[in-house]
Amino acid sequence: MKTLGCDIGSLFSKAVLMDGENILASKIIETTGNIGVEIEPLIEEVCRQAGVSRFNLDGFVGTGSGAELLEDADFLEDEIACIAWAARCFLPEVELVVDIGGQSITSMLLNDEGEVIDFMRNDKCASGSGRFLEVMANALGVPVERIDEEASRAKRRVSISSQCGVFVESEVITHVNNGEPPQDIVAGLCDAVARIVTSQARRFGMGNRYTFTGGVAKVKTVVDLVCERMEGEYQPFPLDTRLAAAVGAALLAETE
Amino acid sequence: MRFGGIDVGSLTAQAVVVENGKIAGSKSIGVKPNPVDSAETVLGMLLSDLGLRHQDISYIVSTGYGREQVQSRGLAHANVSEISCHGVGAFWLLPGVRTIIDIGGQDAKVIRMDTAGELKDFVMNDKCAAGTGRFLEVMCRTLGITLDELGTLSLKARHPVGLSSRCSIFCETEVLHYLQRGADKADIAASVNRAMAERVAALARRVGVEPDVTMSGGVAKNGAVKSELERILGVRMVPCPVDPQIVGALGAAILARKMGGEK
Repeated sequence: MKTLGCDIGSLFSKAVLMDGENILASKIIETTGNIGVEIEPLIEEVCRQAGVSRFNLDGFVGTGSGAELLEDADFLEDEIACIAWAARCFLPEVELVVDIGGQSITSMLLNDEGEVIDFMRNDKCASGSGRFLEVMANALGVPVERIDEEASRAKRRVSISSQCGVFVESEVITHVNNGEPPQDIVAGLCDAVARIVTSQARRFGMGNRYTFTGGVAKVKTVVDLVCERMEGEYQPFPLDTRLAAAVGAALLAETE
Repeated sequence: MRFGGIDVGSLTAQAVVVENGKIAGSKSIGVKPNPVDSAETVLGMLLSDLGLRHQDISYIVSTGYGREQVQSRGLAHANVSEISCHGVGAFWLLPGVRTIIDIGGQDAKVIRMDTAGELKDFVMNDKCAAGTGRFLEVMCRTLGITLDELGTLSLKARHPVGLSSRCSIFCETEVLHYLQRGADKADIAASVNRAMAERVAALARRVGVEPDVTMSGGVAKNGAVKSELERILGVRMVPCPVDPQIVGALGAAILARKMGGEK
């Protein structure tokens, strides 16, 4: 069964072609104002890489905030359902999934069958999301991809007291003007993100086996700092965490 | 006898001197990195305008950021919270006022007063930039206009755009998209002012809005935010008879008069 999952997120769009639980090909592009015309080349590229004809797919499921742009998908599925399904397939023991996406943080509580029994989503406020990290990285002049590298060289973590992205940005600029080393500011920011993520994750109680998905889950410094604050057992998502929703969509395509 | 009030905000600092129940003078400056420096500078400038020395002022009250430090450095005799000072200042100017909407550079407060001018209730947002002057600043930066232009530009709007986000960071992205699509800046400006007013109105509803209502703080100078707030809350704002930015410092000076022993 060769199935395609496509996730049109707020900052990035992802396509993944799977054969069962194996990823044959995947690609991630930025979600721009032009995404409507960029989806088809994205899908074609993934099919080409996998050596599968666009018209010989066994299933195609779309998800994400821009899913309605995927006109020829077999069906569209909610991101939460997709992420939970991906977690269930790769980490059957996980009870709590925290997705830190481009513009939202979503905590999902799963039962023994891997069904979502409760979830909490913050998409009203940028605090702690990928966009938040982007704004801060921009203010610091440190690309998001280099956050871990910078943070690893930190001697200390500067203190960040605000939660609002706009106010944190001012704090970052003040630290820069005070001559704090960028790596110490990066470390302080990772700690701030970890604090925000943990406070949401903890509302579902503690002691669960948990995992992280979404773009921010790729930042190891943040994940480590969240794990320090959480009880329970951390089980890393075995694939690129940014692909979780797309992978879940592809796996759901197989069930139909 | 002369009494003084100093209010250091996030963006501007003010000083007011009252004498014989009247405002003898006021001064407003952009803040320095340190609140004590801001307080010292603005008070010094006002005193020099008035041809006075520090010892000519019988009693001074500080308020705003670093008000304790300003007092401990000997610039003021006492310090009082911004909430009380804004309430006292507005009530002194407008005895009929029961609700004060103060929108500062980094926070927003809605203060309720009783008929005797006593503080009844208040609500404050200083955690989130939405609904504060900071939101407008971020939007102006994105639009490439000044804060002063935001209010006037908005009057030229014909088809305001929809801004669906509450978060300043998400709104900034929305504004960028509108600009990229060639939307009229006046239309965007009007929507920014409306979004601002909606956030402040939501805050005001938490304590209730009883007339007379007036506005203080720098954002009160933005006519578009004011008229949007009037529309949403269904009230007419009583215009502030002085620069709305000096209300806090004025209240501090009025309190200084009480604390310094003059009736």
